[in-house]
Amino acid sequence: MERMKKGRSERSFGRETKDEPYYNRHNRFKEVASSSSSSNSAPASPSDSPTNPQNLVGTCPDMCPAKERAQRERLRDLSVLERLNGDTSKTSRALAVKKFCRTISSADLNLSDIRPLPVLKQTLDYLMKLLDSAKFPFEALHDFIFDRTRSIRQDLTRQNLVSLQAAQIYEDIVKFHIISHQKLAKCRERPEISSLCHLNVEQLIKCLLSLYDMYRLIGKGKGISHNEAEFYSLYVLLHLGNSLPNMGGTLSLWYRQLAYSVHMTKEVRVAKKILRYAEMGNFKLFFSTVAMDLTNLQFSLIEPFLDEVRARAIVQFNQSCYKLQPFPLRHLSELLMVKEDELEQLCKSCSLETSMDVTGIKLLPCKQATFCIPKIGLPFNGLSTNQSM
Amino acid sequence: MAAFLSLAESQRRIAGYLNRFADAIARQDGATLRPLLAVSSAASLLPLADALSNFSDSSRLVSQSDHIAQFAEILLPLLRSIQSHHLGRFAEAYSSYEKAANAFLQEFRNWETPWAMETVQTIALEIRLLAEKGDRELASSGKSPEKLKGAGSFLMKVFGALAGKGPKRVGALYITCQLFKIYFKLGTVHLCRSVIRSIETARIFDFEEFPVKDKVTYMYYTGRLEVFNENFLAADQKLTYSLARSDPLNMSNMRMILKYLIPVKLSIGILPKMSLLKKYNLMEYSGVIDALKTGDVRLLRQALQEHEEQFLRSGVYLVLEKLELVVYQRLVKKIYIIQKQKDPDKAHQIKLDTIIKALKWLGIDMDYDEGECIVTMLIYKNLVKGYFAHKSKVCVLSKSDPFPKLSGKPVMAS
Repeated sequence: MERMKKGRSERSFGRETKDEPYYNRHNRFKEVASSSSSSNSAPASPSDSPTNPQNLVGTCPDMCPAKERAQRERLRDLSVLERLNGDTSKTSRALAVKKFCRTISSADLNLSDIRPLPVLKQTLDYLMKLLDSAKFPFEALHDFIFDRTRSIRQDLTRQNLVSLQAAQIYEDIVKFHIISHQKLAKCRERPEISSLCHLNVEQLIKCLLSLYDMYRLIGKGKGISHNEAEFYSLYVLLHLGNSLPNMGGTLSLWYRQLAYSVHMTKEVRVAKKILRYAEMGNFKLFFSTVAMDLTNLQFSLIEPFLDEVRARAIVQFNQSCYKLQPFPLRHLSELLMVKEDELEQLCKSCSLETSMDVTGIKLLPCKQATFCIPKIGLPFNGLSTNQSM
Repeated sequence: MAAFLSLAESQRRIAGYLNRFADAIARQDGATLRPLLAVSSAASLLPLADALSNFSDSSRLVSQSDHIAQFAEILLPLLRSIQSHHLGRFAEAYSSYEKAANAFLQEFRNWETPWAMETVQTIALEIRLLAEKGDRELASSGKSPEKLKGAGSFLMKVFGALAGKGPKRVGALYITCQLFKIYFKLGTVHLCRSVIRSIETARIFDFEEFPVKDKVTYMYYTGRLEVFNENFLAADQKLTYSLARSDPLNMSNMRMILKYLIPVKLSIGILPKMSLLKKYNLMEYSGVIDALKTGDVRLLRQALQEHEEQFLRSGVYLVLEKLELVVYQRLVKKIYIIQKQKDPDKAHQIKLDTIIKALKWLGIDMDYDEGECIVTMLIYKNLVKGYFAHKSKVCVLSKSDPFPKLSGKPVMAS
């Protein structure tokens, strides 16, 4: 009997190789795709195995399959945006949009219920136009588009579509979530809004992760476009918010599998810088970089987080400064790029008192022990580069 | 490769293998059985592989005697696997091996004693190695690599077979470690959580019962997970456990543990000696350590830039980046020491101006607003004890212990 040759791995922890990129290219997409829109986006045909689904091509020509239209008319299950002339039981091909359905058994699914790529694109364009509509309150619009874009993503994964156009669809949906993120934040002090915010961020993250898998599948060695870099940077910027739903794992883990070429892009670098400045308490560079070096999309994403950062700044100065020298609010407001009275409000929201000296200058007395972040959420203040100019 | 092999000789080799297999099981002889399943790593199987290429009717040989035929479900795919592997068809080799392994697991469940534990462990190792080879082959031909994921699923089954009250449970940690290696490779590190929970909180297992070798590997991986999650105290404890029980002559193992332990130690204020870095070839940390010793922020940034890709890959980049505050602390302390020498009465007051000048001298341009942010941050995180007077732009240090050491506690999270 010969002694078995002991492989290195048996004696040691094994060779440490870089994570082969091909795993991320293929496996991740399938994993994420299957968890992305619903927990069981089962392939339509029972003969498909999860590891090798057939490439289905949907045949539904409308934004909403005719069968569903008829059913929802009967059940009066029409969104206010789908009603023809306000009639709760009538819709049209031009108004009805397929709903997101969490559980679909593979037996019930027909190709005629799935929308092919061009129809999905049309549907998305229609929804994005709705976003600008002044006719409806934003919450109703958000609700509707939130659900209907989720359905679009579901159709995408069911058909295993991998293409530039599919990526663009994800990109547009991400943009929608960011616009919502920004708009909803403006009224986040209302409790019903804050749960909407949370759900919105959750879908935003899922969408981003699906988008990244798409990039990897179509990208093979073509280099990173600015578009891609910008969208990758969004994931980094999301970590600025403290109350994120923890879905992508820690940032360190995510960095590990990200191609180095992406790390080197301008957009990702600036996102990392911003995170670092916030972490280090370097509010000066944080706000100046935010004001000058971010794209519109990047800015929209982090705007709702600015007040959290400001609150951290306030607490930092409150704890570290001299008790006998109250901190001038004006100086702080310039540093934090916020209006002085907004800053005053912010202090009050965090249970800190402000005072005024004899000449009318507003001050923040230091070493107050009462600081606390309000549970409901901070008031929303944008960026103000202003003051004495 | 194979010299001319007669049919008779081929038949003899195959029959010999089959007999050894069946006999080993009959005798409950784990030591003999085990190498018979080491498809990818046993040189002893090469002659058999040659024979299989030569003689194609192995199934007849298997069914010839009941003694052997009872294990047909294991042996037939196993032989296929050996042959495929030898021919370089790794995806095929994996798939067949998985079939054989599944059948073996069924038998194993029925055996009362853990006599075949080492064989099961060999199977676990082989499953992973074959899956890795299979996936490389699939990827290079443009197909989707899914063998390693399958191996993970299989190993979960094995784990399930061992997670019981009986003596077999001692083998569970080895399987866990194989699973860790798979999940780390696939990047699906979050899947480790459920196995860890089973090991650590289920009352079936007593951690101390497991073999040392497995415990070391287990703590290494769970320690690394703590590093990703920035739980530095837990990471320190686990990686140190691993280090303390590793063979100090096994340079590669030591290096792997230290690679993660060093950033953790730095985060809790403990600096390794340069000689340690040299000995284990971890000089990528030298710049970081120098920066921490001298308070030179520029050195830290340079080190991070120079080894950026490497640090990002191992997941320690953010850990090291966060040390910048500690480097600033060192700088301010040096200023304090110099001032103390010149004028001990006034030393505890450090002008912001002085700090800014010192940074400028290091090549870092900072304005007063920034400087104020950094100083207040140092105070806030308790790296400097005292307060900052905004009006006079002076940092006033506490008379006692103005620069508290981290001493085992990481810088307070915000």
